[in-house]
Amino acid sequence: MANYYDIDDILAEEELVPTVFQHGANGVGLFDSSDDADKVEAGSRAELPFWLVRELYLRQLVSIRVPPCFDRESKTREEIAADAAHVDLRSRSPYFYELGCKIALLIRDRTIGPFLLVAFQTRYRDVLVKAHALTLTMTPKYLTLLTNEETKLYEAGQSSIAAFKKWRMGGPRFQVAPVLGRKRKLT
Amino acid sequence: MASASDPHASAFSAAELEFLAEDETIEIVPNLKMDALNFISGDFGPFRPQIPAQAPLWLAVALKKRGKCTIRAPEWMSVVNLTQVLEAERDSDKFQPLPFHYVEISRLLIDHARDDIPDIYMVRSLVEDIKDVRFHKIGKGLESISAGGTFALKLKNLSAMEANIVRPFVTRALETFYKLGSSDMIQETDHAPNRQQTADRGPRRQLKDR
Repeated sequence: MANYYDIDDILAEEELVPTVFQHGANGVGLFDSSDDADKVEAGSRAELPFWLVRELYLRQLVSIRVPPCFDRESKTREEIAADAAHVDLRSRSPYFYELGCKIALLIRDRTIGPFLLVAFQTRYRDVLVKAHALTLTMTPKYLTLLTNEETKLYEAGQSSIAAFKKWRMGGPRFQVAPVLGRKRKLT
Repeated sequence: MASASDPHASAFSAAELEFLAEDETIEIVPNLKMDALNFISGDFGPFRPQIPAQAPLWLAVALKKRGKCTIRAPEWMSVVNLTQVLEAERDSDKFQPLPFHYVEISRLLIDHARDDIPDIYMVRSLVEDIKDVRFHKIGKGLESISAGGTFALKLKNLSAMEANIVRPFVTRALETFYKLGSSDMIQETDHAPNRQQTADRGPRRQLKDR
């Protein structure tokens, strides 16, 4: 509930997290649509959005299986360690860092924090160089690799450089207020 | 301009910075007679023909456009000085002291007072070179944020325009670094083990998991 009005924070909590039910529950068959019994057996697995998982987890109704992209022996970790800049994190989760933070704090996994930091440190450098160097035509291909956070960072860098270049080239010196463009009404 | 249409862009647009830079004073040689002007920022004048006087840049440009004065290019805009600055800029890692609004002032003068600046083409290309060297340095400096343990950046003598261009990027990046590097995320190790065990609940899961 850190940023109640932040749409990205809200969307990050929509990400699905794999969980295991610790108790059976009636009337919530929609979580586990394998049969018509309209109930969830203890021990069954389901992917639930994070905001729901947090509440259930704090009540000890479910246990969390760390999503594959944060898991200790996952392929993602190996890829990040090898060459973080070219890992497609967006396909893992568009809110990779935010979700990672939230999960790490919830289940108190001490390895996720440093892992996220290392990932961002190496990728940050690449974002920086590309934001300041790439021309607009080349961007779409690169942007597909970035998470939401990184995309925003990239765009922040890119747009300020573009604005500066436009100013230096001498764009329109004066902007006509929209009021002035209108023709005077005949009275 | 840019800030009005796009809230995520710089805090100032380049045009707004140019507006701020126009408050810097500069020496002009008027060729008209005019009494002293009393502005909020101070009194300027009186202006007498051929007697140099100080005036804010916007006034100087306005008079220049009407052919009422010549502008004396500031000292730092001489070819000699700019060459020195460029060399020093290339040699050392530090930023050389230049006027806070040097990008804007040089552009305004080059646009509006081309005939008053000696060696204008030389001056223009020198300023461009200095700007490029400094931007390259800023980029390198930003790369080094991630290398150290503390996420901070020291950019002494940075000019207004340079700071403004990197501002949106740097603030976002530092925010994220701060979030990921905060003590909650990193130094979770010592005081957590008790809660870690209760949270893990390994044996219980095995019973239920059959």
